[in-house]
Amino acid sequence: MIALFVTFFSAVVLLFLGLNKKESNYSIFAAISLFVSAGLSWACSANLISFGLLESWVPANMMSFGKEQHLFSALLAFIVGLIILMFRKNEFVGNDQLGLMMFSLCGAYMMVSYQHLVMLFLGIEVLSIPLFVLAGASKTNLASNEASLKYFLMGAFSTGIFLLGTAFIYGGTGSLELEMMGIKPSFMHAMQGMPLPVLINAGIVLMSVGLLFKVAAAPFHFWAPDVYEGSPNRTTLFMATVVKIAAFVAFYRFLNTFAGIADAWKGWISILGAMTILWGNLAALNQSSVKRTLAFSSIAHAGYLVMFLLMADGTNTWILWFYGLAYALASVLVFSIANQLSVSTGKNDFSAFNGLAKRSPFVGVALVIGVLSMAGIPVSAGFNAKFYLFSFAWQHMPWLVGLGLLGSAISVGYYFKFFKHAFMQESEDASPVLDRGLLLLLSALILLLGAMPWAVLNGIF
Amino acid sequence: MEVIIIPILASIAVMALGKKNQIWLSALLSMLPLVFVAQFFNRVGVDGGWKTLFDQPWISDNIRFTTGFDGLTGILLLLTNILVLVIILGGIRNDEHRVKITALTLFMQGALNGVFMAQDGLMFYIFWELALIPIYFITLTMSGVNAFKITLRFFIYTFVGSLAMLASLIYLFLHTANYSFAFEALRAVELSHTESIFVGGGILLAFLVKIPVLPFHSWQADTYTNTPAAGTMLLSGIMLKMGLYGLLRWFLPLAPESIEFYQPWVIGLSVAGVLYGALIAIRQKDMKRLVAFSSLSHVGLIAAGIFTLTLEGLEGSVIQLFVHGINVVGLFLVIELIERSTGTRMLRELGGLAKNNRLFMIFFMLIALGTVAVPFTNGFPGELLLLKSLYAYRPNLSLLAGLTIIFCAVYVFRMVQFSMFGEGKGEVASLKWNEILAFGIITFFILGLGFMPQMLIDIVHNSIVQIGQWVSEARGVMS
Repeated sequence: MIALFVTFFSAVVLLFLGLNKKESNYSIFAAISLFVSAGLSWACSANLISFGLLESWVPANMMSFGKEQHLFSALLAFIVGLIILMFRKNEFVGNDQLGLMMFSLCGAYMMVSYQHLVMLFLGIEVLSIPLFVLAGASKTNLASNEASLKYFLMGAFSTGIFLLGTAFIYGGTGSLELEMMGIKPSFMHAMQGMPLPVLINAGIVLMSVGLLFKVAAAPFHFWAPDVYEGSPNRTTLFMATVVKIAAFVAFYRFLNTFAGIADAWKGWISILGAMTILWGNLAALNQSSVKRTLAFSSIAHAGYLVMFLLMADGTNTWILWFYGLAYALASVLVFSIANQLSVSTGKNDFSAFNGLAKRSPFVGVALVIGVLSMAGIPVSAGFNAKFYLFSFAWQHMPWLVGLGLLGSAISVGYYFKFFKHAFMQESEDASPVLDRGLLLLLSALILLLGAMPWAVLNGIF
Repeated sequence: MEVIIIPILASIAVMALGKKNQIWLSALLSMLPLVFVAQFFNRVGVDGGWKTLFDQPWISDNIRFTTGFDGLTGILLLLTNILVLVIILGGIRNDEHRVKITALTLFMQGALNGVFMAQDGLMFYIFWELALIPIYFITLTMSGVNAFKITLRFFIYTFVGSLAMLASLIYLFLHTANYSFAFEALRAVELSHTESIFVGGGILLAFLVKIPVLPFHSWQADTYTNTPAAGTMLLSGIMLKMGLYGLLRWFLPLAPESIEFYQPWVIGLSVAGVLYGALIAIRQKDMKRLVAFSSLSHVGLIAAGIFTLTLEGLEGSVIQLFVHGINVVGLFLVIELIERSTGTRMLRELGGLAKNNRLFMIFFMLIALGTVAVPFTNGFPGELLLLKSLYAYRPNLSLLAGLTIIFCAVYVFRMVQFSMFGEGKGEVASLKWNEILAFGIITFFILGLGFMPQMLIDIVHNSIVQIGQWVSEARGVMS
């Protein structure tokens, strides 16, 4: 709650600050307020401080603020803070964009802490509507306009389907509250011979379709590559990390209510996960554009995270938290290097990376760390995240874990293209990469999470 | 612990020093872990079992950073650190990549020490993968049309094998009593026959790709040929031994139920590899490629020896993996020096190199004799033991594998003859102090182990007997 509060008010302040001075850049202010939100949320989760009064404003059956919710809010705020910090120089259009991104983040907070499906719906809408604008933020760029329209249409569709699912769930269970939803079906489950209402299963399917659209899992991923490629880099990164993590948390909490009662979804969701892993990884192999490659790689990561949904027993959220953090750190690192290179060379394909290692060795090292973490190779945060995920998912769906390992092997084929261009090709372009300090800080974080994950996790959870 | 951390810090130091760094400094840095290894031998000794030196929770409470030491580990630590010293002394060319390759070699030293000391399954896997990263970036400095394809094929081959091993280890991990990756816990898992075939197969695949045994060898020759010398030496001298070490240390104790099933396949493929490698080596024109195939032939024999499961086979394999590391690095060093001076390593374009550089010729000849396994050089005792163990398994196979001694003499002496003798077509520059030192270390081991092979056997004997016991407990019989 405190994160929602701080983020919302600093977003409002940002909008007003931007009114008078159109050209001024308040990124640092935005980033600091986000880090403060993250810090306060974390402090709440560790019971160092508490904002009971603030939280009592919201009825407990609408949104709840337990330890998990605080930690996920902190994670999301931290990621957005990093994104804004890393992209503070390029693509600057106005403070309204920063404000919109932070409003969108407020939606993400609601998605991770909802207790009532109406709040989930509101959260999704609050998350999506600013994103429609942000996707089309570079107004003169046709691809960006296309991305905005596509995202809007797809978002509208998925929302409609999602709402229908919500209605079905209400029909089947008689409640929209997470705590109450499970009661009626489990009661019927206990009375042997009473079949579950079809409405429940149909509702789960429809709501899952809506959420799978948001996380861009196959076969609802077709919008993703175009939208990711067309949107400004900052927005793409936001969609690939924050939206995905928030949607997965929401998805997990929703399915968690029905775990042990209506388990039919486990089968088809794992098949969709397998499709996503294969599709994302195979399609990424033949891309020449860096952004498109990363878009498909993020689809593949969504596929791995589907495994996480299958172990819905309420105790494993730390795995998603860690995976989200590892994935977001690596994405921010690689994306911001790609962004700076594409600005300085004017190219969008891999040749922008030519000769990077020679030109600025430290950025080369940072790129190596980021890409290896994305590919899940030890000692990096990505490896530990994948290890936790895979070893826990094994008990639920061993064959999906096998496919996940296969997917990791395939992913090497496109991730290592970065190395081909950065280490083997020469380039006449000599413009240096900015932000060395931040890049090194990010890679140090990735290595820290890779070298001593348990110590870090114990400190946080 | 120290032998893992120090080289990694040293590699960062070398990176930071950049071009100011001299050979003697990096050589000293790479020698530091040797001091600790000597101390391990002194303090821990090789008489008891596999003793734990350092233990700390790592990935979770029961997935720990555990390092251990015994004779087998000791031999491989010695091999790794001595060879890294040799590589740093002689193997790194003074060009634009020198700093990078030196740093990566030191990094690799740390990772390899981690592989050999790991007592925890996941730690073993992590260091196994970590060792792949520096060598991959060393291979990335190669040039040529297909360079990236070659490096990618190398990486994906080994990575797929490693992932199979990871899957097997996770399977075992989930069946342990308290979700632990500790060696003893993994070993205690009882598997059904079918399970053990899958689990053992996964672990085996990682090692067979790395060794490489016949159908998994196609990454080898191209990678060896095109990589800068330091990378080739690391690959053939040490990384290969990771696979053999893995067979002894992890495959045999963890999945002994599956040995029965895989034994004929692995021995058959290894012996096929012995002959195939040797026959192809005879026809090679490029010296590096020749040694690459000869390496395929030699390690095939070692893998076959391990799978005979006899005491001679297991001990012979340890001796031979040490000796092969020394010899093959010596050969690659010779080739590297020839290429540095003459600019070519094609046998047709070489000749008469012995005329002006007698010292170089003596070193080359000694290494060649060691490779051919002439008595009183280091190659002989190991090869004898391996062939003897193979004879105990199937006499016919031993005859076939024994042909390799003849073939080996053919291709090695052909290489010596075409490059060193005949009409003079170039000169090898006189050796510098660091190169003489590198050759000195290698010759010391060639002659020393030739006269006193028992030294190695004494070190590993206890570990091997222990492994043999575990295998025989699981199988009921141990010949």
